[in-house]
Amino acid sequence: MNAVASVVQEIGGTLLFLQSILRTMFYKRIKIHEVFEQIWKVTVDSFLNTSMAGFFVGAIMTVQFTMQMKEFGALGYLGGLATSGTFREVGPLLIAFMLSGKVGAFTSAELGTMRVTEQIDAVRCLGADPLQEIIVPRFIGIIISSFFLLGAGLIMSVFGGMLMGQVFAGVNYEEYLRHVPTIVSPISIINGLVKCGVFAFVLATICTYKGYTTTGGAKGVGRSVVATAVATMICIVVMDWLTSFIGESMLQMIQGYR
Amino acid sequence: MMPLIVETLAGVFTPPFRRKEFFQQLYFVGNKSLFIIVFCVSFAAVVTILESSFHMKLVIQNDSMVPGFAALLILRELGAVVTALLLTSRVGAGYASEVGSMKITEQVDALKMLGIDPINFLVVPRFLACVLGGMMLTIIANMTCILSAMAVSQSVLGYTPAMFMTSMHRFVQFQDIIFATIKGGCFGAVIPLVACYYGLRCESGAEGVGRATTNTVVVASIAIIVIDFILSYTFSYLY
Repeated sequence: MNAVASVVQEIGGTLLFLQSILRTMFYKRIKIHEVFEQIWKVTVDSFLNTSMAGFFVGAIMTVQFTMQMKEFGALGYLGGLATSGTFREVGPLLIAFMLSGKVGAFTSAELGTMRVTEQIDAVRCLGADPLQEIIVPRFIGIIISSFFLLGAGLIMSVFGGMLMGQVFAGVNYEEYLRHVPTIVSPISIINGLVKCGVFAFVLATICTYKGYTTTGGAKGVGRSVVATAVATMICIVVMDWLTSFIGESMLQMIQGYR
Repeated sequence: MMPLIVETLAGVFTPPFRRKEFFQQLYFVGNKSLFIIVFCVSFAAVVTILESSFHMKLVIQNDSMVPGFAALLILRELGAVVTALLLTSRVGAGYASEVGSMKITEQVDALKMLGIDPINFLVVPRFLACVLGGMMLTIIANMTCILSAMAVSQSVLGYTPAMFMTSMHRFVQFQDIIFATIKGGCFGAVIPLVACYYGLRCESGAEGVGRATTNTVVVASIAIIVIDFILSYTFSYLY
């Protein structure tokens, strides 16, 4: 019972924090310069990690699909299927996991350190709003830069898939790319982008909340980073299912898709 | 990194064996993470089977082989990787912050002063517990995945569990679960090594603990994806 109560309390606290972030975002002036600085910092810091993860995800998907496709003798479709699978589902999920480790944990550690060393109180002492000065630029920066990072990861996944198609399956590059346009429809790409946006939103909310409410010295910072990593992963998996579900029913309503 | 790995592997076979520590850590890895992993993995399985049905319909216009296909994907890839990534964030980050705070509050030095080897006392039980826990959790996660995929294929795609099992039987062999277990063990071995490496090198102050934890999560996730690729590539020659 206690555990359930604490989970509900955490969810409520996060939503209230989100409300105050959004209110600050819309009613107060956004610090454009800070936002761009955050976008630059987050993107440059995580670019290498995400693109490397994307490369290997594409390679893994191609290896797995090759083994299954060989049984049907349909290796011609390998490129299209592996790319479509990566773009729609596996790519956003695994790359968002990477982002939650890199960006989420980093932000919450940074904010937690600020909170523990009383820098946030100092900002408030100087008459500025910490939400406006510190939290909102990070929030917007994470959401915008995650699109860049996910895009880079997905593009790298195509390269990884192409390489593995050549080396492992013996499908050359032209053959690999030939079926990509017929199988990957614009809707698939929009699906991936929407997923990416939702994941980034959840990630930004949780990591700023956990960092902002850190208490208790160096140990507290460690604890809040662990809590961020766990909570973002759970929320990403649940949101993955939710976006698939809602997107599918919306498409069915609009045009009788499938 | 290399010395730590070598010392840990040597420490596995050198006494004193810390049985109590090992069981404590095994409880932490296994029982405390079980609920989260089962919860997350069942959602992931639902999405996987729906997506593979979508793709099958796109390419060969019917999805009669979806259960076997999805079960194969789950057993070979999804179960082990998602479990390992969740374990990284929960156990790996937890170990890094725990060992890091021990380091900056000089508890590690205190251990050394008492004549206890910190690697034997801290790293080896965690390593063994993570390897064993990773294997067991991977099996449980695979089972949960297949059950939830079965439930969804009954309610959404219209395949009864019997059809699911028949289709699965044609594709899945017993060696798949063994390979998945090996994967789980390898991923489990990576997590505590990375976590303890960054934890034992933690610099003082709140910033140091945060950085150690972040680095652990990032390096361990990338290492898991890379190792997964290598293992998939190797196992593909053994099927």
